[in-house]
Amino acid sequence: MAGVKRRHTLAKAGVVTGLVLGGLFAALPVLWMLSTSFKSNGEVFQNPPQLITEGFSFDAYREILGNGEQLRFFLNSYIVAGAVTVLTLLVAVLAGFAFSRFTFPFQRTINAVIVSVQAVPPITLVIPYFGLVVALGLYNTYAGLILTHMVFTLPYAIIMTTAYLNTLPKELDESVKVDGGTGWTALWRILVPISVPGLIAVGVYTFMISWNEYLFALTLTRTNDMRTVPIGIQMLMGQHSYEWNQMMAMSILGSIPVLVLFLLFQRRFIGGLTAGAVKA
Amino acid sequence: MTTRATRLKRLIGAVTVAATVATVAACGSGDSGDAAADGTVTLEFAQWWGAELPAGDFDKIINDFTAQNPNIKIKLLSAPYASTKQQLVTAAASKTLPDVVGLDGAWVNDFAKQGAIADMSKLMTDANYDSSQLASQIQLDGKTYMIPVVNFVYPLFVNKDLLTKAGVADVPATRSEFLDAAKKISATGDNAKGWALPLDTAVPNGIQNDVMSWLWASGGSMLTDGKPNLTSPQVKSTVEFVKSLNDAGVIAPGSLTMKEQDKVEKFTNGQVGMMIDSLAHINLIKKNKPDLNFEVAALPAEDGYTGKRGIPYASWGIGISNSTKHKAEAFKFVSYLMSQETNAKLSTIANGFPGNKNAEPDFSNSDPLFKSAFDIYKQGYPANEFVGLPKAEDLMRSFDEQLQLVLTGKQSVDDALSKSQESWTSVIG
Amino acid sequence: MTSAHVEPVTAPQGAPPAERATPGRARANPARRLIPYAYLSPTIVLVVVLMIVPIVMVVGYSFRDNVIVQENPVFVGFANYAKVLTDLDFLAALKNTAVFISVSTVAHLVLGLAFAMMLNTQLLSGVTKAIFRIVYILPWLFTIAVIAVIWRLLLDPAGVVNYVLQTLGLVQEGVNWLGDPGTALWAVTFANIWSGYPFFMISLLAALQGISADLYEAAAVDGAGPLRRFLNVTLPQLRPVIVSMAVLDLIWTSQQFALIWMMTGGGPLNTTEMLSTYTYKQAFSEYEFASASAAAVIVLLLTMVLAFFYVRQQQRER
Repeated sequence: MAGVKRRHTLAKAGVVTGLVLGGLFAALPVLWMLSTSFKSNGEVFQNPPQLITEGFSFDAYREILGNGEQLRFFLNSYIVAGAVTVLTLLVAVLAGFAFSRFTFPFQRTINAVIVSVQAVPPITLVIPYFGLVVALGLYNTYAGLILTHMVFTLPYAIIMTTAYLNTLPKELDESVKVDGGTGWTALWRILVPISVPGLIAVGVYTFMISWNEYLFALTLTRTNDMRTVPIGIQMLMGQHSYEWNQMMAMSILGSIPVLVLFLLFQRRFIGGLTAGAVKA
Repeated sequence: MTTRATRLKRLIGAVTVAATVATVAACGSGDSGDAAADGTVTLEFAQWWGAELPAGDFDKIINDFTAQNPNIKIKLLSAPYASTKQQLVTAAASKTLPDVVGLDGAWVNDFAKQGAIADMSKLMTDANYDSSQLASQIQLDGKTYMIPVVNFVYPLFVNKDLLTKAGVADVPATRSEFLDAAKKISATGDNAKGWALPLDTAVPNGIQNDVMSWLWASGGSMLTDGKPNLTSPQVKSTVEFVKSLNDAGVIAPGSLTMKEQDKVEKFTNGQVGMMIDSLAHINLIKKNKPDLNFEVAALPAEDGYTGKRGIPYASWGIGISNSTKHKAEAFKFVSYLMSQETNAKLSTIANGFPGNKNAEPDFSNSDPLFKSAFDIYKQGYPANEFVGLPKAEDLMRSFDEQLQLVLTGKQSVDDALSKSQESWTSVIG
Repeated sequence: MTSAHVEPVTAPQGAPPAERATPGRARANPARRLIPYAYLSPTIVLVVVLMIVPIVMVVGYSFRDNVIVQENPVFVGFANYAKVLTDLDFLAALKNTAVFISVSTVAHLVLGLAFAMMLNTQLLSGVTKAIFRIVYILPWLFTIAVIAVIWRLLLDPAGVVNYVLQTLGLVQEGVNWLGDPGTALWAVTFANIWSGYPFFMISLLAALQGISADLYEAAAVDGAGPLRRFLNVTLPQLRPVIVSMAVLDLIWTSQQFALIWMMTGGGPLNTTEMLSTYTYKQAFSEYEFASASAAAVIVLLLTMVLAFFYVRQQQRER
C-alpha cells in the first residue's frame, strides 16, 4: 500500500513539475508583454532587463483608454467579431443540418469544396479580393469585413456543427414530424436547443479568429473608424519608432475579451469539442 | 397542400437567409469623394504623416485649409508607412486611389507608369501655378508626378558621452576617423558598439539611408546617365568600407534583420555610439532619453575628399490620383500645403526642411541641433538616387541580399557588385 | 486566419438520414428536392462569390503578362509558371516552408498532446487544472502582429532570452537568433510553435475527455502499465483527431505570413523566406502581379494536395 501511495505522490510531483515547466513556456512571453506595458519607452531595452522598472506607470493604459480613436478600434472589433460569430453560427447550422439530415446529389463534392476552402492561402487572394470587394461596394465597410471573415470561419464551423448534429439521434426529428412538423421546425425547436454546448464551442472559436484577424482587416479598410484592434496595434508601429508600452498595453487589453469569453465558456467549449469528436 | 405550402415557406426562409447575407453588402458606405448636392467636394487624402506628427497638429493644418475653402472637405486616411504603401498598391490596382496621396520618392515611378497618379505639370499650368517656388519636383519624362512637401535629411548622429568615454575628441569627418572612432567605442565594453546597420529585407531602405549615403557623401553616384553603375571604384570603396566596419566587429549585432526602428532604439539606449538617421528623430530620442548627450554632423567622406557632400534625404511627397474627379480641387489643396506659410509651419512641426524654397522653418522653439543640421544641409546638396527609379524597393532589396552575402563572408565584394549590377540592369538597364 | 485547428468528423452519410429526397416523391414535388440546397444556399453564395471568384481571377492573372500595371495584358501561357519554378528564391522558399510547417506541426502535436494529457490527469483537483488550462491557452489570445513584436523583443541580441542564457552561462555573448542565417529559421519556427499549440491542445484535451474510462479499466485489468495504456488505448482512440488536425495544421502553418514578415521579412539571406513572403514580395515590391499570381496558384495546388488528404480522411470517418 505504501508503495502505491509513494508512486502516486511521485506521479503527482512529476505532473506538477511538467505543468509548471509548460506553464512557464506559455506564460513568460506574456508576462514580459505585461511588464513592458508598464515601462516607459526608454526602459524597454534597458540592460540588465528588469521586470518592474523605475518608470512603472499605467500611462500607456491611460493613453489608450483615454483616446477616442483607440476605443473605436475596440468597438469595431466587437461589432465585427460579434456579427461574424452570430452569422457564422446561423449559416453553419443550416449547412450542418443539410449535411447531417439529407442525402442529395453532389453532397460529397460540395462538402469537399467547403472543407478545402480552408486550404486557400489568404495572401494569394489579396489582390483580386480587393478589386472584388471594391466592385461590390463593400470596401471600408463592416459588411465587407464580416463577410470576408465568415468565408474563413465557416468551413470549420460547418464541420463542427455537422459532427455535432450527427451525434443527435434521428428519432428526435422524427418525433416532431409525427406531430406534423417539418425539418425546419425540428431544427429550430429541438436540434438547436440541444446543440448549445457544441454551438458555444464553434462560437468561441469563430470569435477568436475574427477578433485577431489581421491581413484582411488591414487590406479591406482605409479609415480608422472602420479598423479593428490588430490594426490599431500595428498603427503604433511608426515608420521610425515603436510605441512599445502602448502597443503592449493595447494587446493586453485586446486579449481580455477573448480571455473572458474563454473563462465563461471553457467547460462548455471543451465539452462541445468533445461531443463533436465522439462518433455517433 | 398545407404541408407543401409550409415546406415551401421554409425553403423560402432559408433562401432569405442567403439573400440577407448577400445584401448585408448593400448597407455599405456610399461616399467615394463625389460632390455633394450643395457643391462641396470631399477629397480623400491618404498618407502616413499624421501618425508621425504630434497628435492633433496635422488636423489643425487641414482645418485651416477647410476654413479658407468651405466648399472642400478633406478626409484624412492615415496608416503607418508600410501599410500605406500596401494600401496604395492595392488601390492603384483597382483604380480606387484616394484623391490625394502621400508618396515616397521610391514609389513614384511605378505609380506613374501604371497611370495611377496624375501629371501635375499640366495641373500647374492650368492653375497658373508658379513652380519656381518649389525646391524640387519628381519628374518622369519631363512631367511632374510628385512634389516633395517636407524633406528629412539623414545626418550622422553621435553619442557624445560614448565618444568621450572612448577617448575620441572630435566627431569623425572622414571614413578612417569613423572606423577608428567606432573601434574605440566598441572597445569600451558595456555592450556598446560603434555603429548600427539595419538591413532587414522586409523594408530594405537601410540600403538607401545607411549604405548608399556613404557613397553620396563623397560625391559618388550609383548611376551613370540613368543606368546602373555599381561596379565603379566609388561604389566598391563604399561597400568595402562597410565590410571593413563589419570585419572590425563594430556593427551592432543583428543587423541582417534589424529594422530602422531598432537602430533608433539602440542609439537612444546607448547601445550604439553612431548612426545615420533622419533628423526627424531628434524629438523622439529626447522624449525617450532626455539626458542623452548627442549631436548631429555631416556624414564622413572618403579621406581627402574636399568637394560638396551629398546629404541623403527622404521626403513626404504628394501626388494626385489620376482617377479623381476633382483634380483642380486636389491641386488647390496641394498648393496650399506648398504655400510659403503652411509649408514653413508643417516643416517646423515635422522637424523637416521645407519643400518651398521661400519657406523658412522656425527654429526658435526647436532644438539647436536643427539649426546646425540646417547649416549642414545648406553646405551640401540633397542626394537620393533611388527617388524616381522603377521598382526602387526591389532594387534596394536585391542589393541588400548581395550585401548580406558579403557581410557573412559568403561572397566577395566584386562578385556582389557585379551580380547587383546584373539584376539592376534587368530592371532599369 | 491561421491560429486554430479543427476536429475531424463530418459524416454526410454518417447515419440514415431522416429526410430522404427519394426519386419518386421528388418527381411529384421538385421543390422538395431542392430543400437541402436551400439550407446550403447561404454557404454556397458566400463561398462562390468571395472564394471561387477571386481564385478564378488569380488563375486568370497567372497566364497573362504585366497584369494590373498595364492596360492590356497579353496572354503568355505558362511563361509565368516557368519563371517562378526556375527561380532559385522560390525553390528556397519551398524548402524553408517545408521545414517550417513540418517542424511546427510535429511540435504542435507533441506539445499539444503532452499538455493535454497533463491537463487531463486524475491526480490534480479541478481548480488547479482550470488555472493551468488558462495559462496554457494564453498564446492563443494575441494577434499575430503582437506575437511577432514580442518575440523580436525577447530574441534581440540584447534581449531577455540572451540575458537569461548568459546569466546561466549557457552562451558567452548574446546570440543573434533572428539575424544569424544559421538560427533564424529555427527562431521563427519556435515563435510559431509557441503561438499555435493551444488549439491543438484544446482539441486533443476534448478528445481525451471523450475516451471512455471503461477502455482504461479493461486495459488495467489486463495488467497494462501507463505506457501500454497510452500506446494501446489513448493513441488509437485519438488517431483520427490527430491525423486530421495534423493535416489541417500543415495547411494553416503554410499560410503563415504576418509572423514571418514582421519578424524577419524573409531574411537573413532568404533563410526564412516562405512561399507566402515570396508571393507578397513579387506583388508588392516588384509589382510582378503575374508571377505573384503564378506563385499563388502553385501554392494553392500544393495546399490542395494536403486538402485532398484532409477531405479523404474526413469523409472516410463515419
